[in-house]
Amino acid sequence: MATLGPQVDAERQRIRERFDAGTSARETLQALCEMADRNIQQVWAELQSGHGTESQGLCLLALGGYGRKLLFPYSDLDILFLFGNEKAERDFRPLIAEFSKTLWDMGFRVSSAGRTLEECKRIEEDNAEFHLALLDRRFLAGDAELFERLDTKVLPGPERQARPFLMAQLRKLTRERLTRYGNTIFHLEPNVKESPGGMRDYQAAAWMRQISGEKREVWNSTVAEEELTGNAVNFLSAIRCFLHYNNERNDNTLTYELQAKAAERALGLPVNAGRDAVRSPADWMRVYFRQARTLNRQLLRYMEQKAPSQQSLRQRIFNAARVPKIEPGGSKAFAVRDGLLEINDQTALADRTVLYALFAEAAKTGVPLSRETERTIPYVMLHPELPARNAPLPWQAFQEILASDFPGVALRPMQRLGLLTDILPEFAAIDSLVVRDFYHRYTVDEHTLRTIEHLQELANPPDARGVNYSSLWKTVERRDLLILSLLLHDVGKGMPVENHVAGSLTALDSAAARLQLTADEKAEVHFLIERHLDMSATVQRRDIFDPTTVSGFAALVQTPERLQRLCLLTYADIHAVNPEALTPWKAEMLWQLFVATSNHFSRTLDRDRLHALDEVPVLQQIRQLTNSTSTESIQRFLEGFPRRYLAVHSAAEIASHFALYQKLDSDPVQTQLVATQHAFSLTLLTADRPALFASIAGVLAGWGMNIIKADAFGNAAGVVLDTFHFTDLHHTLELNPSEVERFRKSLNDVVRGKAPLEALLKGREQASRQRAPKVEVVTRISFDDTSSMHSTLLEIVTQDHPGLLHEIGAALARLGCNIEVALVDTEGQKAIDVFYLTAQNKKLSAQKQETLRELLAGTLG
Amino acid sequence: MIKLEAIIQPSRFESVKDALCEIGIEGMTVTEVRGHGRQKGHTEVYRGREYTVDLLPKIKLEMVLPDKLVDKAVDTILKTAKTGKIGDGKIFLTRVDDAIRIRNEERGENALQ
Repeated sequence: MATLGPQVDAERQRIRERFDAGTSARETLQALCEMADRNIQQVWAELQSGHGTESQGLCLLALGGYGRKLLFPYSDLDILFLFGNEKAERDFRPLIAEFSKTLWDMGFRVSSAGRTLEECKRIEEDNAEFHLALLDRRFLAGDAELFERLDTKVLPGPERQARPFLMAQLRKLTRERLTRYGNTIFHLEPNVKESPGGMRDYQAAAWMRQISGEKREVWNSTVAEEELTGNAVNFLSAIRCFLHYNNERNDNTLTYELQAKAAERALGLPVNAGRDAVRSPADWMRVYFRQARTLNRQLLRYMEQKAPSQQSLRQRIFNAARVPKIEPGGSKAFAVRDGLLEINDQTALADRTVLYALFAEAAKTGVPLSRETERTIPYVMLHPELPARNAPLPWQAFQEILASDFPGVALRPMQRLGLLTDILPEFAAIDSLVVRDFYHRYTVDEHTLRTIEHLQELANPPDARGVNYSSLWKTVERRDLLILSLLLHDVGKGMPVENHVAGSLTALDSAAARLQLTADEKAEVHFLIERHLDMSATVQRRDIFDPTTVSGFAALVQTPERLQRLCLLTYADIHAVNPEALTPWKAEMLWQLFVATSNHFSRTLDRDRLHALDEVPVLQQIRQLTNSTSTESIQRFLEGFPRRYLAVHSAAEIASHFALYQKLDSDPVQTQLVATQHAFSLTLLTADRPALFASIAGVLAGWGMNIIKADAFGNAAGVVLDTFHFTDLHHTLELNPSEVERFRKSLNDVVRGKAPLEALLKGREQASRQRAPKVEVVTRISFDDTSSMHSTLLEIVTQDHPGLLHEIGAALARLGCNIEVALVDTEGQKAIDVFYLTAQNKKLSAQKQETLRELLAGTLG
Repeated sequence: MIKLEAIIQPSRFESVKDALCEIGIEGMTVTEVRGHGRQKGHTEVYRGREYTVDLLPKIKLEMVLPDKLVDKAVDTILKTAKTGKIGDGKIFLTRVDDAIRIRNEERGENALQ
């Protein structure tokens, strides 16, 4: 036996050389397995004859990967010593010890277990791994009759009975493993055995088939799918062999260094498959991810299948009578079945409008597509008899997906199916892209999709880091633009440019032109992409408790709405780098900067006023839009408005305000009512007068409108511009177009003092007050005399209810307070109102503040 | 050998790290920490909710240095971390008996290089 060691080493070396010379992984594994079998049998036979014992009562079984004849160069040999009885176990102990030592000395790593035949009848509930490995049992040496008894008599019964247990355990172990690797195949340095898409996925799927009795119809795999799986297994086997040989141990991590070496030798690629085109590590890794995706997709589809179980007659009758749960969807081509979106009519998907409606449904409801649905879509898309109808996706349809509560639930399968790159070809630049970086853990596309998923999680934050950001996500405006920015923010990493941000902005140019974004929409996305690292950099490199840092950052961001979007983008971008990147410390720092900047916006509104002569480009733009001959009157109109006015209104909106301003001579109250997607926007322009704000708010309350946002600005000439965004609670204006004119007249009459407000309000308040709030908001009234040089800031946080703004406005008017600037916002059932107040052109005295506090407290409760 | 612990403002971290690298100190352990000395926290109110920051975010640097490098390291940190305001942080120095590199079991100052 002393000569066996060197012989084995030489044979191992020969197998390795053949692999390096191009022999396939399959042949290499087979050669390694045959070598191990041969040597084990020889060592066992020689030791046995040396000890003068017979094999009766003991046999050796190969288990797990070795049992399947998939023995990788440095893998352990899983061997089971099966004893006929306990006496045999005692008798063979010295022989087994010597056997194990000999194999170890020959360079075999043996991982052994011992069981009596009797013990094999019991299912060890805390050791499911052993039973799964036993599924791959293979006779190696010893008492063949004993193995026969085990294989045909002892195990089949318990294994059949244990099927539900084994399947449940296998699913549990698989879920735990996938979770450990972040449920994604897209790791920059994947583990080709354990991480999702690795060999373990293939094995788990194979065990599921085996446990369910190999019923092909259960798994419904096509011949083409089987072939793809076979190719993927061969490819990953080649990598695993390569890794073992390079690392000279059982290390399955595909490091950057080994990716480069594997790409250099076009590892795993067929000779005639354009090997030369796949020499860069990034290209080769794309092939890896494609193969890993095949294995992972198959496993996930199997995981979604119902676990086969032994059912009693009663259960079977019950189940036969039970109709699967299908939620309303009626005539739709799809429906929700058992919590997943399933297709009712496959042919309908040829109409891309229907296909995108399916994704829009997923994004709206958060209900994912079933794996079967995902499997059907490419089939329909490629079917020669189902030509695509309505192929290009308009921006509005894509926007619907992006603006939903769960955009990631749609975007993830859209990416898997290639539909995302149909709509955003720019995204293809980062498809499965590995960028070497010791900070990031995932490929660029995976990182991008994770950013979006981290945001949608904020609806119910999974941990404390997200709690503060939850309300931002729920209330953020133009979520569609935020998500589009995230989709494009790192696209430049896949482009041949020095600075990836510049590349991403180029990608935006083409995407914006194709999707037909408006100039304002494009500008917003441009800002978010261009500045996507700025908030994080400010948090990490600036003193965020320094007011200069905050004011500088506010000047960069310009508006609270944009701040909200940038903050969410930053939160998501850091979070998606790796699971540990967003520490609670960082999350808190980011939040502090957000709060400080947000407060800066609301507390410095009247500090920064417009001087029209400094705004030449704006003046020219408005002049062009309004066909004015000079900019003088535009200057008069803009002079003295808070700078925020320019930041929150587009040039087109300012032009329309100016048009109203020009009509003030003929009619002193100018109004403009615009219906938006989910609300109405009312703009009113008139000379300032006492209780004006309260009157408008009162009219809206009287008509049953719910104000969700408002602002009031005044210019130097005393003209006020009030904007109210409101929802029509009773659909009065929506269902009765004729009411629009009556509403407008009612507003005009009240503002001009021609009609009393009280009559309008009567009855409405009582009805609305009766509803109990879903969330109790404690009223908080605070005054701030330091933030503004001219005004006292009043901030009110209270329970929102119809008519609230009128109540506050009326209280302010009663005490002779003039509203210089107002910012009104809502967050669910919470109203957050900030007023810049003066009384007789001065800040409010301490006494007046106290009186006002008491009055408001009495009114608001 | 001396163990140097420095608590500094997060905003000064990049500069301090670069400056230490320039004088040949590249090995350090960095931890995100919270705390306060004389610089007490403050309260921000956002949308009616109070956010009290009583433990302020800081960065803690830890490194073990050969005696000859200690003064240079301290000077470098003082120069780069100082803003002159309350809250700039502190440096602590403690003597270390021995150091062992796990890989090859080298000891003493050799283990620090």
